[in-house]
Amino acid sequence: MNNVFIDVDYAQIYKHGQKIGGDVFLLSRNPENHQIVATLSDGLGSGVKANVLASLTAHMAHKLSFSPIDLNHSAKIIMDTLPVCKERKISYSTFTIADVHYNDDNTDIELSLIEYDNPLALRFHGSENIPIERVKTTLHRSGAFKEEVVSSSHMTLGVNDRLIMFSDGVTQSGLGLGLPLGWRLDGVRKFVTEVIDKNPDISSRELSRMIVQRANSYDGYSSKDDITCVVIYIRRPRRTLIVTGPPFTKEADEILGEKIREFDGKKIVSGGTTAQIVSRVLGKKLTIDMKCWSKDVPPSSKMEGIDLVTEGMLTLSQVAKILEKRLNVADLPNDPAKKFVEILLDSDQVHFLVGTKINEAHQDPNIPVEIGIRRTIIGRLRNALEEIYLKETSQEYL
Amino acid sequence: MDRVKVRICLGTACFVQGGADLLLFEDFLAPELLEKCDIEASPCLNQCRIGNGIAPYVEINGIIHDNVDQDKLIKLLQEAVNAGN
Repeated sequence: MNNVFIDVDYAQIYKHGQKIGGDVFLLSRNPENHQIVATLSDGLGSGVKANVLASLTAHMAHKLSFSPIDLNHSAKIIMDTLPVCKERKISYSTFTIADVHYNDDNTDIELSLIEYDNPLALRFHGSENIPIERVKTTLHRSGAFKEEVVSSSHMTLGVNDRLIMFSDGVTQSGLGLGLPLGWRLDGVRKFVTEVIDKNPDISSRELSRMIVQRANSYDGYSSKDDITCVVIYIRRPRRTLIVTGPPFTKEADEILGEKIREFDGKKIVSGGTTAQIVSRVLGKKLTIDMKCWSKDVPPSSKMEGIDLVTEGMLTLSQVAKILEKRLNVADLPNDPAKKFVEILLDSDQVHFLVGTKINEAHQDPNIPVEIGIRRTIIGRLRNALEEIYLKETSQEYL
Repeated sequence: MDRVKVRICLGTACFVQGGADLLLFEDFLAPELLEKCDIEASPCLNQCRIGNGIAPYVEINGIIHDNVDQDKLIKLLQEAVNAGN
């Protein structure tokens, strides 16, 4: 499993009153080529016209980034294709392209950045702002009012690095309202530093949302332009271990304990007998929390050092059902299955440690059929996590 | 007088075959009976492995009872409380 995770997400608010945005963000992950391309484009104006222009630009940029053509050259092709507004003599749209390449184990992350007329992207290591060295290329296009500058830069990112890209709706928020010159790049930089200082592990989703909401508040909650922010965050993956089923032999109990102790991340034990084994090998007391259960799912238990202890097959079946049906977590009853799903959705990598001993209790013909076989349910869980929620999963038998 | 010690098995087999009903003990046990008992749950009492009985199992003062439903639990607890007096 990879030791590094590339977290890319964005947040967007349309210009007040618009149902369609003039800022377009595209993200593609191409695992075979070890490449991620994130493109942000801002079309002139707002609404449908701007959206068409921005989509056109973003898709061109996107396609060209996946081709073997050099990124600088791609930028030139796009620039030459972009029309120039007859009245204003400026380009119809702007763009920022982040092209990320990584190797097999997600290390050596190389990022190429091409920027044209969008506010300059910011790079952070932790909460510290790191200046980006840019190489500028000047283009003269016929009909354009000014010389146009495309800047390109290249950087190697490591764990805890972030790259933040945004449209001018962010930097110009508050213009003429509370802030005479708008929020400006400096304001955004300061805000991001403060946010990361307070919450060093903030996810891309959260951070981009905070920036966009702050910009919207400067605009008096009636945004004057489309506000879009994209965050690329390199971090250690959040891991979860799920232990289910007693090991096949008694000797393996100790190995199980060792594996649980060594695991770095959240830990879930699922199964009554398994919980008792874990409690014995770790020497921790097991107490049942009789307040947290529902008619489908037996109560969870508490054990020091383990984040969640649940019953086995019923809980796992319920979790699989929730994941497969994409049920909204907020609507679920407050039972162990809900807590289980919350932990899973918060993780990037899920490792299953599956005991293979057959449970005599489940051989009873009175038991409902859906309890089924542990392995089938784990298969369903892994499938749902990978296909629907794009998590990495792995499995090990004991 | 010693309080009656009760452990309800909540293994998968017991839970689906009636253990869930027993968890509602606060609703169906009379308050005067409830206050003389310490009721807790167990992740598994390991009884189906031995195989002399039918789930759900309940342990009362160290003695295992099988096939317990709400009525049977009331009866068993009443007996245990009377025996202790």
